[in-house]
Amino acid sequence: MENIQEYIESGILEQYALGELSPAEQAGVEAQVAAHPEVREELLQVQAAFGLYAEAHSLTPPAGMRERVLSNVLAQIAAPKPAGGLRADVDAVAQANSLTATPQPTAVPGEAVVRPMASAPAATSTPAWAIAASVALLLSLFGNMLLYSNWKSANSELVAMQNERTRFATTTTVVEKKLGELRQENQVLRSDEFRAVALAGTKTAPTAHARVLFNPATHKVYVDVRSLPALPAGKQYQLWALDKGKPIDAGVLNAATATGEGLQHMKDIASAQTFAMTVEPEGGSVNPTLSTMTVVGNI
Amino acid sequence: MSDTPLISLPPAAEAELVRRLQARDEAAMTLFYDRYSAALYGVIFRIVKAEDEAEDVLQEALVKIWHAFASYDPSKGRLFTWVLNICRNLSIDKIRSRQHRVGSKTQGLDDSLTAQRQAAPTTFRPEHIGLQEITQQLIPEQRQIIDLLYFEGFTQSEVAEELNIPLGTVKTRARTAIKVLSKLIR
Repeated sequence: MENIQEYIESGILEQYALGELSPAEQAGVEAQVAAHPEVREELLQVQAAFGLYAEAHSLTPPAGMRERVLSNVLAQIAAPKPAGGLRADVDAVAQANSLTATPQPTAVPGEAVVRPMASAPAATSTPAWAIAASVALLLSLFGNMLLYSNWKSANSELVAMQNERTRFATTTTVVEKKLGELRQENQVLRSDEFRAVALAGTKTAPTAHARVLFNPATHKVYVDVRSLPALPAGKQYQLWALDKGKPIDAGVLNAATATGEGLQHMKDIASAQTFAMTVEPEGGSVNPTLSTMTVVGNI
Repeated sequence: MSDTPLISLPPAAEAELVRRLQARDEAAMTLFYDRYSAALYGVIFRIVKAEDEAEDVLQEALVKIWHAFASYDPSKGRLFTWVLNICRNLSIDKIRSRQHRVGSKTQGLDDSLTAQRQAAPTTFRPEHIGLQEITQQLIPEQRQIIDLLYFEGFTQSEVAEELNIPLGTVKTRARTAIKVLSKLIR
């Protein structure tokens, strides 16, 4: 540089200090600074002048800011945090980004992150690759978030569908079982071999009414309740077949049958002329408690 | 702190702070904050013009300073100059992205110019060297140019356009202002 004074007067050092220059122009200034002590002296003065101007505008930060900012900063700069999935990945990428940025342009150490001698260029002169990298990082971040949320919702949908399927399978089993029972009942009801025996209420329960379906050939017995008085706790209805006056246990009615929900297959009875029901302790008795006889009917 | 102007932070004290930061001493960040926060916050606030945003930027800047500290070279300039530039660049990025979001940049420039002219006196509480002293030394035209360059992130060409004066005049006034400020340091 032949005329150093002219160079200084050109205002390029102010531009450098304010970060207005492109990386190539910055490199040019730094070469001049390295070569000419006067230029270096001048640049330091410019920087000091801006520093003074900045300092003159010092502002005490609002109350409480010191604790907030310092605790956040210390938390962020604290030794490597435990890998936290996406967030940690992003941090790692950002970190790698700023590290690779450091040795970038040859004559400008610390480019993009910081400028050692003078002001870093403001947004206008941010290198295109840095913008591209930032945009790429942002896009990738956004993409990851999108994928992550899609994956999460797909996952929960899958779980929901599996639950739904299990529930459906259970329902199907129940329905099939019910259907089997109904078919059987239907068979019994339609069969000519079965004889319907109407059991009428006794004096203790005049409105009680039930039916026994008896097949003398196969000895099968079904009971079909229309209306029976509610049972005291710990009691069950028991069906008896009377063969030549002798009571034979035909089994106890389960709670559903006693309330008239459907047919119940009872114990096989070889021969009977009369059917009757008594109230017995849960599980049934060996001999009927005649005083509790509720319904009775002859074939 | 008002009796300890930052510019004149003793070289030994600054060197010690730099050494601790280079040694990755996290506790030194607290010291750093106490030393420089008022100066840095003042600059950031004047650029972003909102307390919550200024706080965000200061925090961001401190994290950046910590992570990028390896690239600071004491032989090439003062620590204060280096950190000031980081804060100023982050602040300018902030208002640029804000202007970008809002829309036309020209609109942003016009607004910020008038806003700055009006907002300055009431909210600013000068400390250290003192805004008064500097104001008295700089003529209004010089101060206006330095403000636009330093706190609005204008380029010299943008200042010329904004104030409708030749670029050469902007350069001359800026240089004269810097000369005046330099004399204050000595």
